[in-house]
Amino acid sequence: MSEQQLLRDKHIDYIASLDTKKDDLEYWLSEHLRLNGVYWGLTALYLLDSIETFNKEDVIQFVLSCWDHKTGGFAAFPRHDGHLLTTLSGLQILATYNALERLGSEKQEQLEKFILSNQKADGSFQGDSFGEVDTRFVYTALSCLSILHKLTKEVVEPAVSYILRCYNFDGGFGLNPEAESHAAQAFTCIAALAIVGKLDSLTPAQQENIAVWLSERQVPEGGLNGRPSKLPDVCYSWWVLSTLSILQKADWIDFPKLTEFILHCQDPKNGGISDRPDNEVDVFHTVFGLGGLSIMKYPGLRDIDPVYCMPYTVTKYFQRKYSD
Amino acid sequence: MHGVTRREWTKELLRKKREKERQEILDYRELSDEVLELKNKRVANKDSLLKTTQLLNINPEFNTIWNYRREIIKLLAPSLDQTFWDGELAFTMDKLKVRPKVYWIWNHRVWCLEHYPNSPLKIWLKELAIVGKLLEMDARNFHGWHYRRYIVSTVERLSGNCLNSQEFEYTTAKINQNISNFSAWFQRTNIIEHMLARDQIADKESFIDDEFQYIKNAMFTDAEDQSVWTYLIWFIKESALKEHMTSEKYSSMLKELTEIIELINDDDISFSGKDNIWCLKTLLVIEFIQKDILKEDIKSKSREYLDKLIIIDPLRKNRYLYQIRAL
Repeated sequence: MSEQQLLRDKHIDYIASLDTKKDDLEYWLSEHLRLNGVYWGLTALYLLDSIETFNKEDVIQFVLSCWDHKTGGFAAFPRHDGHLLTTLSGLQILATYNALERLGSEKQEQLEKFILSNQKADGSFQGDSFGEVDTRFVYTALSCLSILHKLTKEVVEPAVSYILRCYNFDGGFGLNPEAESHAAQAFTCIAALAIVGKLDSLTPAQQENIAVWLSERQVPEGGLNGRPSKLPDVCYSWWVLSTLSILQKADWIDFPKLTEFILHCQDPKNGGISDRPDNEVDVFHTVFGLGGLSIMKYPGLRDIDPVYCMPYTVTKYFQRKYSD
Repeated sequence: MHGVTRREWTKELLRKKREKERQEILDYRELSDEVLELKNKRVANKDSLLKTTQLLNINPEFNTIWNYRREIIKLLAPSLDQTFWDGELAFTMDKLKVRPKVYWIWNHRVWCLEHYPNSPLKIWLKELAIVGKLLEMDARNFHGWHYRRYIVSTVERLSGNCLNSQEFEYTTAKINQNISNFSAWFQRTNIIEHMLARDQIADKESFIDDEFQYIKNAMFTDAEDQSVWTYLIWFIKESALKEHMTSEKYSSMLKELTEIIELINDDDISFSGKDNIWCLKTLLVIEFIQKDILKEDIKSKSREYLDKLIIIDPLRKNRYLYQIRAL
């Protein structure tokens, strides 16, 4: 097997090509993921040190066009409904461009109201008024509030206690209390605790148990899976490695083997990264593959904050602590 | 895209694909535009409902359209009969069969059950049978297991009957079908904790003995499978069951386990020439309990296990080195 290299230029070309695929049905069928997709693309470009590939003003205009005045949040696409997931993507893009002020104070207040309105009595969050509850939304809510400098004790403390209820004996976290451990939920729970400076609400033994469970995600092929006895998938390179990095145990993963796995998932012809070798690439796996490589200090990639999956130069301005 | 094989698109193939999709794109965009416009005008009638059906048939992942559909149904509810709701449940089932991992569809189905006229117990019981079928198709589907817990809790609330023993038997059946089904083992831990919390295990001693026997059988069936080992570690270290054992019994159980695991490991060595990774990892946990919790004066082999693990499980070498430093 020949030594694989990161196909930097091809990945940039691939990301640049995403908005030119309007002749493909898939482009239209994925509108409900568009704002998330723009965040993934922009962050991938940042990692590749090529952020100028996107036209900043066009992207900001697109984000603002996704504003849903009925909910007071961002939707995935103009005329769609606002949701916490897409609200975070919108804020991440604006923050990355240092353009949060483009929102104006009125929208910032509406955003705060929208986010807070989705917190339930037990501290959990629903994604929108339709009631789906998931630890993903605790993370998105706390990350949004941190970006907007709106974290308060009243929001954070119940959220933290909810997260702790989702911790499982095996060292993982579920999407709800009693739900099976899943690596993406380990990220949302640990990173949410890290945002609000509450990692110490887990005992050192629990933190070690979490790191042990995460290290078990690496399979002989070198990639990481999301749950026991599942296939490896590039996106877990981010969910698992970023979480271990927050716990200062990233080296519990074999870096050369994981690097090789991610590089094998590149499309050598058109760029982009897929979930597993020889599968169809997409921007989601591209950014999380690159993010994983960045945590492993792959040469030529920029550093990224494992808590926010955003540049450190941006996240250093976010609110990390809240006043009592 | 998850699990989609990469295709080589020659110019000719691409041209054909685009030719085929040209009309589909036009139709889809026209329909999508029309439905979003109806939504904007808050049009709620049978026609707008039908339009959402058409759009969701093409794109079942379009969450905004599911939202709009619910708004329409809420407004039309007084004129909708049971046949409509049965049809709505059938519609979501069709979509779930195509996209079993799409959160929005599961969410819509829950909403239907909750808004079904009077939401009677019998539809939830029927749903429990349906989720059983879904878990037969994909025994690890995590939405399915999550959904099952939700259905069970609703059935319990509506019927006033606790389903713990039935659900405990369900996990036994799922594990017996496939010993590697960690989702079932995991659910078993939830149910046992519930049964203990509600004091539903009359003879705890024989329950513990039976469960221990069940685990031992599983270990001998497949010593390579991490599900059993993870469950075993829960059983001896984390579960509330151990509070119902005398320290003598707990201690002798750990000793017996050590002997069994060493036996399984020796078998593996003579068969493959290598130690069994999970045997060593579990022996480490047992030693930890013996030393740190039971304060027993044992001759520790932890260092030896960790040294071996570094060689036979090199992916996790740094973790084992960390654990050696912590000894």
